Amino acid sequence: MLTRLAGGRVIDPANNRDAVGDIFIRDGRIVEAPPGDQADETHDVAGKIVMAGAIDIHSHIAGGNETLGRLLMPELRNALDVVHPGHVPQPAGAWNTFETGHLYAAMGFTTVVEPAVLPHNALQSHLELADIPIIDKAALTVLGNDDFLLNLLRGKESADAVRDYVAWTLATSRGLGIKVINAGGAAAFKDNVRSFSLDDEVPGYGVPSRAIVKALQRAVHELGLPHPLHVHCNNLGLAGNVETALATIAAAEGLPLHLAHLQFYAYGKEGPRGFSSAAARLAEAVNAAKSVTVDVGQVMFGQTVTISSDVLRQFNARKQARPKKYVIFDGDSNGGGIVPYEYRANDFYNAVQWAAGLELFLLTNDPWRVFFTTDHPNGAPFTAYPDIFALLMDRELRTQWMTTMPKEAMEVTTLASITREYTWPEIATMTRAAPAKLLGLKDRGHLGPGGVADIAVYALDRDKAKMFREAALVFKNGELVVRDGKVVRQSFGRAFDVRPQAERAIERRMRDYYDQRYGLPLDFMSVPEAAIGRPDPFERVPCNT
Amino acid sequence: MVKAWIRGSATELDTAIAEAAKLLAASRMPVIAGLGTDVAGIRAAIALAQRIGGIIDHMHSAALLRDLDVMRESGMMVTTPNETRLRADLLLLVGSGLTEAWPELPARLFGDANRRIVWLCPGGAAAQARALQNVSIIGDDTADLPILLAALRARCAGRPVAKTPLAAKELDALAGDLAKARFGVAVWSAAEHDELTIEMLCGLVKDLNDNTRFSGLPLAPPDNAGGAQQVSGWMTGFPMRTGFARGYWEHDPWRFDATRLVESGEADCALWISAYGAHSPDWKRKLPLIALGADPDRKRSEVAIAVGLPRIDHPAVEYLTATGTLGAVEARQPTNRISVADAVTMISAALPEAPPC
Repeated sequence: MLTRLAGGRVIDPANNRDAVGDIFIRDGRIVEAPPGDQADETHDVAGKIVMAGAIDIHSHIAGGNETLGRLLMPELRNALDVVHPGHVPQPAGAWNTFETGHLYAAMGFTTVVEPAVLPHNALQSHLELADIPIIDKAALTVLGNDDFLLNLLRGKESADAVRDYVAWTLATSRGLGIKVINAGGAAAFKDNVRSFSLDDEVPGYGVPSRAIVKALQRAVHELGLPHPLHVHCNNLGLAGNVETALATIAAAEGLPLHLAHLQFYAYGKEGPRGFSSAAARLAEAVNAAKSVTVDVGQVMFGQTVTISSDVLRQFNARKQARPKKYVIFDGDSNGGGIVPYEYRANDFYNAVQWAAGLELFLLTNDPWRVFFTTDHPNGAPFTAYPDIFALLMDRELRTQWMTTMPKEAMEVTTLASITREYTWPEIATMTRAAPAKLLGLKDRGHLGPGGVADIAVYALDRDKAKMFREAALVFKNGELVVRDGKVVRQSFGRAFDVRPQAERAIERRMRDYYDQRYGLPLDFMSVPEAAIGRPDPFERVPCNT
Repeated sequence: MVKAWIRGSATELDTAIAEAAKLLAASRMPVIAGLGTDVAGIRAAIALAQRIGGIIDHMHSAALLRDLDVMRESGMMVTTPNETRLRADLLLLVGSGLTEAWPELPARLFGDANRRIVWLCPGGAAAQARALQNVSIIGDDTADLPILLAALRARCAGRPVAKTPLAAKELDALAGDLAKARFGVAVWSAAEHDELTIEMLCGLVKDLNDNTRFSGLPLAPPDNAGGAQQVSGWMTGFPMRTGFARGYWEHDPWRFDATRLVESGEADCALWISAYGAHSPDWKRKLPLIALGADPDRKRSEVAIAVGLPRIDHPAVEYLTATGTLGAVEARQPTNRISVADAVTMISAALPEAPPC
């Protein structure tokens, strides 16, 4: 069957296209305009924006920690409903896997990456991903607080050994990439360490945090993983932590490195309260470090729950919980911390955080290296995305928001001085073309022939947030799944994974290690395809050669 | 070979499935209860509940919800069985039902001779406790536990206490030991404690972390109750005792208690699932009952279908107490006995209307 999207403004930065024209779909893929061929189905999208389906590279949507968050905060479902003034209350919010898929699809997102899968908990993460409908998914496997790696580094074993271990862990946990979260910090916390920075050593191992990041960065690079090492830095959320972020950027040393939710590290110690936005300085460093990519982790106001495998940071934040309850989970490696939080526009610190995120978006100059996230649900639930798009594209709107915030907070940021407005091609780059490139998804994120027909169509509206909240049409693998912001068909996507080459001897070594250390067979952490319960649940992404 | 019965008489599987679908379709408020099954079975059951506007409840919900009530009221610090085994220098064992909840506990946690064990109120497990090395047994009757924990928490925080079942000196020594632990772990089973006892214990653990490291290890009830809670958490956003009667998921531990719904007459049909053993519903009132079980009660049921035992007859994903995670387990002796997931999916497919989007 041939489907034609006729007469829309096609914005496809990957193919340098921004013009009114048609898109043709056949068998789930985008095809060249077939000469003389009549389309079986035509959608008139004149006056509308046509882009590839959006890709979210960092959103905590699945896994034991997320479900712990759901169980800790059943009341969040109601809170999510009032995130948008004027929004019609939904009887069910974004707080289960099915709603997650529907709400993402309604906004025109077709791929989302769960960025924190602990190897021992990988099966549950994949089961949850399998119950998120419509969108494609991927998991980033977390290493860096695990005894095996720390022992390799303590024993000064070869880079080959680290590489084989990374490859084995990726294969076992079915990850698309590797994430490191406060490298060594969760392990140190088990030894009652209460603060941990880039050059601090993990007690008992004598390995500094920096060495863990560097070893993983090298292994990821040498294995040819398409996605660079994904780093959650030390000292998240602390005043003055911009120094940690700058040091980590410098530590990239010209090799690819992705820094997650950078907004949470954009804090200086200036101003009357010793807390200020250092986003301008950080943006400058990002602009200069061409091998580094970042995502923002924008804060928006309202009730949320922070979910992070940075156990140390979550523990230190426990007494700021709003409402006053939390779960701190010392896991086999990272574990997690679940701390509810309400960001308030009239709170000095929260207002600085909000402004710092927007500064990072607006002062970085390359939409191919700066990614759109709220670190869902940590800065805000992903349902807040439409409002953020509107803020990025409209400086008048930013000014209006700023007038509602504490003046002294705005004085320790540069936001008021920034006039930039994101253009449509920049939005398309940041949320489509660039993420596909960063994840190695060659047939996603663009509208050229051969691309998977994941397509979002938006009706222009003076209320830009409304436009993004309710896509006019969304196609997943060429099938219409959303019309006017409503899901019309519930399909199920797949999870992307990679399978880099590794020495087979690692398997035996791991078997011995698990037997000795845990007294357990390796199988407890396996993710058998048959256990997922949906047909063909994985899609292999090739490694670079 | 499939074994199925309608009102006590053996029948073909398809006939039993069709009859079950008919009963559920005719029901205005069906409950899907028991839920003693693997993750695939629970996923299928929750999908069916969504399809028919039903209520889901697990046979061990009461214990699950006691831990959960503490967590969602005031929070909790927890760790894994593996970290406990590797790292704990002090185990605070609470109550008498621990080895019942986790039979491998002694093998997994008692091996380390350097590990100090404090056993509070071991009750029926006192003989087992006394046989351990390096153990302090404090109290006996679990009835003393709430006041003991309260006194201990007060002393750990440096607050004075009135008379307790324990001599003041002994109490202070114990408080000192807890404070000196480098990584202590408190182990309990919610099957035998009320919410306030659990909350006091969890509060003690949290307080201890102001200076040292301490964590908790709650033991999940059997029949894959831990798995049911996780699956329900991600599929509905809520734990057990959740319903789709109004077209969206709602959670209410009282309203959606399956036994209460049946006894009060609100529920008019029940699908009871017990694949791990011959558990029967604890309600007395008669209502149309569909039973899926290892050995279903065919006398009491309109429809009964014998299903395979997860991890024996067919591979299964279930909550593993040894790791505190969901794990995939191979079948020990594979047979072609039908799984709960397949039976429920067949019932769902036999329902009259097409599934909504």
